[in-house]
Amino acid sequence: MILIFNNILAIFRKELQGYFKSSLAYIIAGVFWLLACSLFVSEVQLWTAQKVAGQVVDVPQESLKSFLSGMWWLVMFILPSLSMGLYAEERRHRTLELLATSPITNWAVALGKLMAVWTLFLTLMLPVAGFELLYLIHANPPITLGIFFVGHLGLLLLAAAILSLGLFISSLADSSILAIILTYALILVLSLLFLLGERWGEPWVGIFDQLSLVKHYVTLSQGVLDMSSVILFASYIVLGLFLTAQSIDLFRFQRR
Amino acid sequence: MIEVEHLNKVYGSTTALQDVTFEAQPGEILGLLGPNGAGKTTTMRILAGYLPATQGTARVAGYDVHDQPMAVRQRIGYLPEVPPLYPNMTVESYLHFVSRLKGLSAGDRPVRVRWAIDQCNLVAVQKTLIHKLSKGFRQRVGIAQAIVHDPPAIILDEPTIGLDPRQIIDVRNLIKTLAQDKTVILSTHILPEVNMTCQRVAIISYGKVVATSTLADLKAQQSDQVNYELDLQGSKATVENCLKTLDRVMTWRWQTTQQPQRRKVRVACQPHPDLGHQLTHGLVHSGIELHEMRRLGSSLEEIYLELTTREPNTQEEIEVDDLEANPIAEAVASTPPLDSPAQEMDPSLDDIEDEISP
Repeated sequence: MILIFNNILAIFRKELQGYFKSSLAYIIAGVFWLLACSLFVSEVQLWTAQKVAGQVVDVPQESLKSFLSGMWWLVMFILPSLSMGLYAEERRHRTLELLATSPITNWAVALGKLMAVWTLFLTLMLPVAGFELLYLIHANPPITLGIFFVGHLGLLLLAAAILSLGLFISSLADSSILAIILTYALILVLSLLFLLGERWGEPWVGIFDQLSLVKHYVTLSQGVLDMSSVILFASYIVLGLFLTAQSIDLFRFQRR
Repeated sequence: MIEVEHLNKVYGSTTALQDVTFEAQPGEILGLLGPNGAGKTTTMRILAGYLPATQGTARVAGYDVHDQPMAVRQRIGYLPEVPPLYPNMTVESYLHFVSRLKGLSAGDRPVRVRWAIDQCNLVAVQKTLIHKLSKGFRQRVGIAQAIVHDPPAIILDEPTIGLDPRQIIDVRNLIKTLAQDKTVILSTHILPEVNMTCQRVAIISYGKVVATSTLADLKAQQSDQVNYELDLQGSKATVENCLKTLDRVMTWRWQTTQQPQRRKVRVACQPHPDLGHQLTHGLVHSGIELHEMRRLGSSLEEIYLELTTREPNTQEEIEVDDLEANPIAEAVASTPPLDSPAQEMDPSLDDIEDEISP
């Protein structure tokens, strides 16, 4: 058990150090911070303008909700670029052979990688959350912190689910570019499943609504802690890890 | 320590290994020798737990590779054909990562990493990023990751490939040092490598082990015949008729056709004090012009060729360029043995052949 924990930690540290040493991660961080903070500021300006126009709105709360909903698009475009190289690079450098002949299971490798890339996302989010708090802390009437925490929990869960699926795609692809394109395609399909449901009618509406990433994220971003949404995201995370472990095992049988 | 029994491996419709059986004891260096594509890498990958075998068993330190893979992985060091390196890590951090992966305790890690760095002469580059290293250094980092956790069994797939002469000697010495209390299996298609490093050799050809023996035994097996290489001019039929009339000639194999009518043939004969005389006499009296006649030592190269290129009809003519027809000659030519200073002065094929003969 200790060995497995140490192994996960070894992979986690290696991946995280790799990100902090690569220029790509810093470029992505810069773009992310710029876009996220601009989005927040523009939401605040939008709602303030409505209030000025005479509407009765709770500007801080509405700004936060709209900002969190908008973060969906940003997260969807940024995260596949972090997950694309997780396995594709291992394959390129022929290091999968090292992992496969070390006393470590495929699960542990996949979990270590997912935790590392998720931690990177967490690090990206911390300054943004600090920026939000800086504004919201002075709100009058004071904001309910529930919305803030549940909304961000939703964002972190959504990120973990996207990264987990991205991890799986990366384990299939030979190149990072192919991995990122396929991840975009998969995430887009999973997000917009509800549209397909609306077109096909019952019983698809119910089924696709439950599977859609967007619908569940929107629920959480409004501050509603719906356990079915949490479970759905958790299922996607486990599914991604499971498929990754399986695909790595299968790909060893390929003749190379 | 390492036991392989009746191993079979099938990739789709291709049979990569057929009934491969051998074993290696502690303190022994076993060379897996065979042409490219013979099944050396597949055998090693199965031993390292990377690939499952289709049939048969392989055990490392008493643990079955298939049933107890984690126990086996802790006890082997494996250097694949391409060293598995992370280019953005420094040599030292990479070795720390591997030692953590292999389950070394936090207390042992710095000591073992330092030891591996010293053993593989990596002190000068330990803080360098791996992508800045030359091929030779990368190969040595690959060896260092295979030994960093002090495994009782070490599997090295072509460990000296891409190294310069000085480094090859260093790596050979390192392997010999390691083998004092460990089992080492190394694969190669370069014959001098085996001669200089291994105590025992398993020759693999087309997925089968065609011989497992000590080098001395292999050479002894060949001492019941004497081989000559003849460079002669005359029609093929005349030569063959003449050879058939000589009782001590057992088999022959055509080597090349350099120009019309002038050929090289290798003849295997029963030993006899008068053999050379009988051969020249017989050939010349049949009207064949003899340009050169050379007695071949029963070198490892010949044993290897005999074992790996044995065809149903040994008298078949091989009309290909000299080097291409002879993969060993090519390997030898590209990697001359290094221990002899004379070799560097005159690296001709003939001398190399003499060099590796007993």
